[in-house]
Amino acid sequence: MIRMENVTKVYKGEVLALQNASCEVQRGEFVFLVGPSGSGKSTFMRLLNKEEKPDRGRVYVAGKDIGQLPSWKVPFLRRNIGCVFQDFKLLPNKTVVQNVAFALEVIGRPRGVIKEKVPAILELVGLSKKMHNYPDELSGGEQQRVSIARAFVNRPLILLADEPTGNLDPNTSLGIMTLLDRINRTGTTVVMATHDRSIVDKMRRRVVELDRGQIVRDQSRGVYE
Amino acid sequence: MSLKLDYVLRETASNFRRNITLTLATVITVTISLTLLGAALLFGDAVDNATVRWKDGVEFIVFMDPEISPELEEDVRRQLEDAPEVSGFTYIDKDEAYAEVQDLLGDSPELVEVITPERLPASFRVKPTDTLPERVDELAAAFRTQPGVARVVTASETIRAIEDLSSGLRQRVIIIAIVLLVAAAVLILNTIRMALFSRRRDIEVMKLVGATNWFIRVPFMFEGLIQGLIGGVIAIPLIWLTNNFFSVINDDVSLELLRGFTVDPSRVWALGFQMVGLGAIVGTVGSGIAVSRFLDT
Repeated sequence: MIRMENVTKVYKGEVLALQNASCEVQRGEFVFLVGPSGSGKSTFMRLLNKEEKPDRGRVYVAGKDIGQLPSWKVPFLRRNIGCVFQDFKLLPNKTVVQNVAFALEVIGRPRGVIKEKVPAILELVGLSKKMHNYPDELSGGEQQRVSIARAFVNRPLILLADEPTGNLDPNTSLGIMTLLDRINRTGTTVVMATHDRSIVDKMRRRVVELDRGQIVRDQSRGVYE
Repeated sequence: MSLKLDYVLRETASNFRRNITLTLATVITVTISLTLLGAALLFGDAVDNATVRWKDGVEFIVFMDPEISPELEEDVRRQLEDAPEVSGFTYIDKDEAYAEVQDLLGDSPELVEVITPERLPASFRVKPTDTLPERVDELAAAFRTQPGVARVVTASETIRAIEDLSSGLRQRVIIIAIVLLVAAAVLILNTIRMALFSRRRDIEVMKLVGATNWFIRVPFMFEGLIQGLIGGVIAIPLIWLTNNFFSVINDDVSLELLRGFTVDPSRVWALGFQMVGLGAIVGTVGSGIAVSRFLDT
């Protein structure tokens, strides 16, 4: 599903974000990316939906070398990759249902499909009762659920989660992990960058550790350290 | 990729409501720029109209003796037709001359009363091919001695002065109009950019979930189109106001030189609609360019 071959990424000012990283993730896997801040976790993810381009090496998503992808096709790549962030990135002036529907509208889905899919996904994440609330009326955990609903409503092949529990308390975090686990069980490949030791240790999934841009550990059913 | 009309309309409507101040700022900018540009172009037209009667190339006028026979008049006409130095002429007969006098002296009926068409000279208004003052004088002198000719009046210098004034004014007006147009474009681009900056989060999310660049661009361009249209429509009455100001100048008797400093209403309307069209184009293209800055992937 995802393959990186000898990928190096250097930002302006000679910041080495990734150094000769190679990694392969199979369809349906759940992978934790761990490592200190600045170790290249976010760059790893940004390379997958072509927000960044590698300086060297190749990135394959669903069997395709995305370096060869013309820029007009990038949106179609992103429709196959859902993204969840630490800061949720919800639109504050849209309600929960509008936020999720927006993701389908802007890729041109018919209204009938939107009407059917949005309530279903909100049911899945457990927010049916707060459909018409605005993001600032929700707790952090609820906002993250909306953001997951938005990322998953289009049934992407891959879900990228960049520190999704970074702003949440441990109990709420567990709820979010249960949700991500359920999504993973539907066959969606999940890649999650995290600092949350207890979650990694509890879930016992594949762990890829980055340090200063290099993959220093790749362990199935691993722990944080 | 099919763009849903209801999506575009809904997004545009909510953007208008959300960014009412910036929308207002854009509309006002468009209105002011288009009004100034329209007024400048209108002024150019008015200058043209005010000087047009001096500009048809008439360099001298041959006045006939009012008492002469039609045959002598025919001789002069034939000579004018045959002369290679004459590119054209207009014949003003006694009745037309009388009508002009009535026009000119309309304010003093007692003077008009003494004048009858019979006592007025017929005249030929002559356009020479060569407008060098010396050549015009030469040609005029040749007619001065013709039998039946009462006198020949050349007006080269006055005409030249007015023509110079008019072309100088027009050049300046064109320069001002260009500067205004550029200023308007930059202002509009900047306003739209500010409006977009406040919505970079929306754009970020749209990119994230895989909206195509055109899908992101179109609602913004539609918004720019509407702002441009509204700005243009408001500019129409303001351009009319400028035109009324011209009439005030025109009606001031002391400004004799500026007689005819006015523009046909149909021309004002046409100019107004051109400004609306220009506003629509600038708004749409400006938004399209401004939003592209956020789309580079």
